[in-house]
Amino acid sequence: MIPSILALGGHDFTSRPPDRAVSELMLRLATERAGGRPKICILPTASGDTAEQIGRFYAAFDERPCEPSDVSLFRLGRRPVALRDHLLAQDLIYVGGGSLVNLLAVWEAHELEAILSLAWRRGIVLAGQSAGAMCWFEAGITKSSGRPAAEAGLGLLGGSLCVHYNNEPERRAAYLDAVSNGMPGGYGLDDYAGLIWEGAGPPSAVTARRGARAYKVSKTDTGVVESPLPARFLPAPAPAALREDIAEFRRLKSMRRRAGWLA
Amino acid sequence: METATRQIVAFGGGGFSMESGNPLLDEYVLGLARGERPRVCFMPSASGDADHYVVRFYRAFPAERCEPSHISLFRREQGPADLRAHLLAQDLIYVGGGSVVSLLGVWRAHGIDAILREAWESGVVLCGLSAGSLCWFAEAHSGFHGQPRRVEGLGFLPFSNSVHYERDSDHGLAYHAQLRGGMRAGYAAQDGAALHFTGSDLCRVVASRPAAKAYWLDPAPAGIAEVELKTTYLGEAPASSTETAAIAA
Repeated sequence: MIPSILALGGHDFTSRPPDRAVSELMLRLATERAGGRPKICILPTASGDTAEQIGRFYAAFDERPCEPSDVSLFRLGRRPVALRDHLLAQDLIYVGGGSLVNLLAVWEAHELEAILSLAWRRGIVLAGQSAGAMCWFEAGITKSSGRPAAEAGLGLLGGSLCVHYNNEPERRAAYLDAVSNGMPGGYGLDDYAGLIWEGAGPPSAVTARRGARAYKVSKTDTGVVESPLPARFLPAPAPAALREDIAEFRRLKSMRRRAGWLA
Repeated sequence: METATRQIVAFGGGGFSMESGNPLLDEYVLGLARGERPRVCFMPSASGDADHYVVRFYRAFPAERCEPSHISLFRREQGPADLRAHLLAQDLIYVGGGSVVSLLGVWRAHGIDAILREAWESGVVLCGLSAGSLCWFAEAHSGFHGQPRRVEGLGFLPFSNSVHYERDSDHGLAYHAQLRGGMRAGYAAQDGAALHFTGSDLCRVVASRPAAKAYWLDPAPAGIAEVELKTTYLGEAPASSTETAAIAA
């Protein structure tokens, strides 16, 4: 049982190559843990359990060799789930993005922290992006209350994490400021960069898009230093074969377009 | 100085969320709010701030009738920056249904619990259905999470509460079991029935459906005393056959 965490700076579940590469990595980590067809569950809590986030997750994994499921803490009334049993039966638990403050508050209200911590100790891979990545650390920088601010996480991993490092300069600035003012140092992750912890020891960095980077962020005597980490590139797998009728529909559409019937 | 009347209207279920085409409960709470064009703020927190729910609120509370707004605690960057100022400026705060456990967790994280108490004490009318009813009470019987669960609410009303109440349903029986197990006495309301409190006193029970009922349940040593409460139907009185019969006799 090796406690494993995959933290991602930002991604989506689309059919674009970098997104497919991230989904493939999750599937691989889950399959390694399962030794066969893995169970993968999304916790979309940080978004308020939006249908979009859940739908995109299923679109990415429905046709893949795994058993996807979701636990919606806002919809337990309509769809009761034995939380502990269901979560501890997974090979990978994926936490989506959204509000870090709400994520942690709702988990606390439903007493989920201990279950997730136990899952981690049992070697169930914990994965997530954005709020769903920062939640595993001691602290992160969230915009849950409007402007970027420091917020404590569950603390399964020491140190801090800042996500969307390349495309949210105000979040990065708030992070550097917080670290220089005493927040524990940690990591900055661009969108499509990730860090994998497997057991004790430092994480390994991965990237699904050229140029996306992971940084180690530390406070030194001369100020806060950001050092890029060497990262392994994740190639995108070939897109899943299209269903025959969809392929046929696209062929027809492109024929009609060529014929000039469609603007 | 005159102290403001503290008012809460707790729906067992109903209003625009559940009774499309029947605006009686929504009209009732609007009628309690101060002013010609009251400021009404919707809090969809218990649904996870579901977009479709927010849209339905704006349809049910159009700008001709009131000054509607909503607060999404999942998208704080878009809404009012000062939650306290916004909520204290309202005439009516309307809390939607969903998960009461999640609702209370999110509210506490954003300090909404303290703000709502302040709003209530300053005369802002508070109302809601389902989770938006349970939240105001000291104890909520939330039987919709698989295992029936006893949830500690905000405690503005020192009772327990059960919503969507049906006497002999599993849910109703689970409330009885909780009362026997030490939950404090409280109010149960059916869909279409609403409990109107001034301070912590029940002043009226109103209904959007002629047959909707509400009850007071007290766990006495001899067994649970269930008292049916006098209810005022808010719609036009239907022609009563018993009355006609009485006149004929």
